[in-house]
Amino acid sequence: MIVETGHFALVLAFVLALIQSVVPVWGAVTSDRRLMETAAPVANALFVLVALSFAVLTWAYLASDFSVVNVWENSHSAKPLIFKISGVWGNHEGSMLLWVLILVLFGSLVALFSGNVPAPLRATVLGVQGWITAAFLLFILATSNPFERIPQAPIEGNDLNPLLQDIGLAIHPPLLYLGYVGFSITFAFAVAALILGRIDAAWARWVRPWALLAWVFLTLGIAMGSYWAYYELGWGGWWFWDPVENASFMPWLAGTALLHSAIVMEKREALKVWTVLLAIFTFSLSLLGTFLVRSGVLTSVHAFAVDPERGLFILVILCIFIGGSFTLYAWRAPLLKQGGLFAPISREGALVLNNLFLTAATVSVLVGTLYPLALEAVTGEKISVGAPFFNLTFGPLMIPLLLAIPFGPLLAWKRGDLLAATQRLYAAFGVALLAALAVFWAWGMRQVLAPIGVGLAVWIMAGAVAELLSRTRITEIGLSRGLSRLVGLPRSAFGTMLGHFGVGVTLLGIVMATAFQTELVRTVRPGDTFDMAGYQLTFTGIAPRQGPNYTEQVGHLVVRQGGAEIAAMDPSKRIYPARGMPTTEASILTFGFSQLYVSLGETRDDGAVDIRAYFKPMITLIWLGTLVMSIGGIISITDRRLRVGAPKPARAKTAGLSPAE
Amino acid sequence: MTLWILFALMTGLTALTVLMPLRRGSASASDAGAADEAVYKAQLEEVDRDLQRGLVDAAQAEAARTEIARRLLAAHKQNQRNGKSAATGAVKWAALLPALLLPAGALGLYLWIGSPDLPDQPLEARLQSNPEGQPVEVLVARVERHLAANPQDGQGWEVLAPVYMSLGRPQDAAQAYANAIRLNGASEPRQSSLGEALVVAAEGLVTADARAAFERAVQLDPAAAKPRFFLALALGQEGKRDEAISAWKRLLDGANPNEIWVPAAQQELAQLEGRLPPSLQPPRGPAAADVEAAAAMSEAERGEMIRSMVDGLKTRLEADGGSVEEWVRLIRAQIVMGDKDAAKASLAKARETFAAEPPALDVLRQAETDNGLGS
Repeated sequence: MIVETGHFALVLAFVLALIQSVVPVWGAVTSDRRLMETAAPVANALFVLVALSFAVLTWAYLASDFSVVNVWENSHSAKPLIFKISGVWGNHEGSMLLWVLILVLFGSLVALFSGNVPAPLRATVLGVQGWITAAFLLFILATSNPFERIPQAPIEGNDLNPLLQDIGLAIHPPLLYLGYVGFSITFAFAVAALILGRIDAAWARWVRPWALLAWVFLTLGIAMGSYWAYYELGWGGWWFWDPVENASFMPWLAGTALLHSAIVMEKREALKVWTVLLAIFTFSLSLLGTFLVRSGVLTSVHAFAVDPERGLFILVILCIFIGGSFTLYAWRAPLLKQGGLFAPISREGALVLNNLFLTAATVSVLVGTLYPLALEAVTGEKISVGAPFFNLTFGPLMIPLLLAIPFGPLLAWKRGDLLAATQRLYAAFGVALLAALAVFWAWGMRQVLAPIGVGLAVWIMAGAVAELLSRTRITEIGLSRGLSRLVGLPRSAFGTMLGHFGVGVTLLGIVMATAFQTELVRTVRPGDTFDMAGYQLTFTGIAPRQGPNYTEQVGHLVVRQGGAEIAAMDPSKRIYPARGMPTTEASILTFGFSQLYVSLGETRDDGAVDIRAYFKPMITLIWLGTLVMSIGGIISITDRRLRVGAPKPARAKTAGLSPAE
Repeated sequence: MTLWILFALMTGLTALTVLMPLRRGSASASDAGAADEAVYKAQLEEVDRDLQRGLVDAAQAEAARTEIARRLLAAHKQNQRNGKSAATGAVKWAALLPALLLPAGALGLYLWIGSPDLPDQPLEARLQSNPEGQPVEVLVARVERHLAANPQDGQGWEVLAPVYMSLGRPQDAAQAYANAIRLNGASEPRQSSLGEALVVAAEGLVTADARAAFERAVQLDPAAAKPRFFLALALGQEGKRDEAISAWKRLLDGANPNEIWVPAAQQELAQLEGRLPPSLQPPRGPAAADVEAAAAMSEAERGEMIRSMVDGLKTRLEADGGSVEEWVRLIRAQIVMGDKDAAKASLAKARETFAAEPPALDVLRQAETDNGLGS
């Protein structure tokens, strides 16, 4: 009865979502308040129904109810509790249900926290959310129903893909979905603005925090996925330009652009039409990501089931939403009022530059991801577009953007002074130059690009700090008054600083780990010792061990430095009998920001084993940087002041103001 | 019935979330234009606060105020031009939607794709419930759980092994027989069955391990037919034609022609002696035939087969008394099948049967403690 209640709740949610799609929007168009007022309670009811349905599926996993096909296919009674829970979304059907759960959660949040949003806008936004919800619920019920049953329940399940039995993967999909789906809110706001033909003053105030929230989750989700690939796949790589990774990276790039253009919009009422377009573009990329990952077009750990019917279904949803919203944009955008004016060199101008480069970078990734697919579809020829392509296209687009980051926040709104901004960055430039020289001095010509990369990273970090300090005018008014000004700065200033600082941190990690990593692949016998970046690793042997639902061969290594034993490493290879699948569990030791990474390869008959060892200097900075960025985003969200961008007053009438769009 | 009442409640509550706001018809929320004005007024206050905190200087604040005031004026004018909105007749239609679409749509769709008749089947509950009428997989899982907790229970392995064979899991059966031999000691039937399981696992090939098992079985009981059958088969498979022929002849010599294996043995012999073209009749022992028979059985029949094994033992013991060891085996079997009451009943029966034999009563008392049947 419990399972069928969950199933019915899902069906009910679908029908309710259909009502949600029609009634509030109808009310907004005909200015009927009572129809509009249905939006919020229905959004909450949708959340309750889908949450109930999700809770029931989770119960089925916990209770190992193998009469539910989905549980039977993806669970096992001996699986540890945490993976019984994460198994709920570790498969196609469950993950789509999680997708919708997050969608209606956001809808419900909009309903709860939008008391001061004009009623028509609120009703239309929730109505658009209703369209998305209805489309995806239909998709679930028609092609991927997690509540399908088997009358004769088997006694044991097929277990979860062992690669997914991992803490990282328990957290990664929900975070990523929170990001993807979060952009549905900005999309709904954009489409609502187009339908209503006006952008309210509250619009930007609402879009920016949602964009920021989605961006924070997406950042964390991508970082988590990257760290998972790093430690679980056993190759020690953290980014592969794999289409699945690109699928999440594209909305992130577009979302970053959206975030910045939303700032301009909130503070200056400029870039309105562009922001609407970006919001549509970002969510379209999220949908595209879902399509690429879920349709089985791409083979990867994410493509749980290759089913052409599902792929076609998502493709239709994709075409309707993307095609429909862009058509709507072409038709209605001219109705929207243009925003304010600004000079090319100004904060607005800098943010336009940011948007330009980020959008171009998104397009380059989009081409690199879709071109091989299109080529294969048309000619049947398989090509793989990897790091070389992206290094040549994405890289050059990023460098000017990264160089420009410190300048942006220092320029005044409406009309800026590049020279004054540069003067305030002298110190940051000096620090960056010193860092680059230090790297050059230490490693010489072996790595030509490393000093430049390190210099760029330090430039961004120092620039972020310099910007914050210049706002306190600490050099003009003395330390104590400067510090009190620092405390008095709005939280959003710290958010900006941390966001930009985090980019520098991640860049530093990328440059260091790429340029200076040491790698060693060799066959070792018990008793063998080898040297790795100043650490001596002694392999003492390999022994079997029994886990709850797997057996493993655990290698043991003793790590010494200067003769003293400092740590032990136990990399292992596991076999999950339910699926007969092996996995590699790398052993990772962290020293400061650097990591020693050991994974096992083939075991030989004579007790020898292939070992792959890396020393990766400063690699953790890659993920710590994303954490810093996310913290910056969260701090900025908590600052609920109204954002007003005070323009720099014109001393004399300056010529050369250009329209915003 | 409870299910349908629950569904009706859920549908009703959901419909209410749409109908309630339609009934209320409040006019509390602000208008779009008024909301714009409110935002701009709040922005003006924010500029004042920023000025106080020293985030902007006086000139910047003034410029910001000018801009916002301009927007405020525009919004105000716009607001005055727009007439107030009026409720339309659409409410009635909108109320019909949830009132009709929700129950009809949800119920129709659910009846189409749902399975209202299927109860929940959480694993623990299935393993705890009455073994009667359970599919054989559940019974096997029960025994497996029992053995995972008590791996030293030789009787359990002994009960499980033939079930594995009939389920077409010869590899597991071989392991179970090996465990039974380890814990209960070697005997001709156990060794022969182990060998047979290994042969079936190897798809009819008598492997070295299987041969070793059959050889031990022959040592334990030189007259047993089954191990000698397979050893003869092994000789044939190894290409030792003459030895195989004499082995088959010795086996068939004096055998009861009604034994099921005799025709197969005769056929093997005929083939080796060249009386049959090899391609016409591929060699097949009784093992392969058994597996086919088991595979052809339906699930219910297989469950029946296990129960009938236990029931057969019970009926026989109740009829002719049997040995105390056999009674203990029955009790064990009933315990591992999860039927504690039946085990208690059997124990009581056994006590009656052996009331006059104190050593047997001791064995029964031991069995009672071992199986946790004591009160």
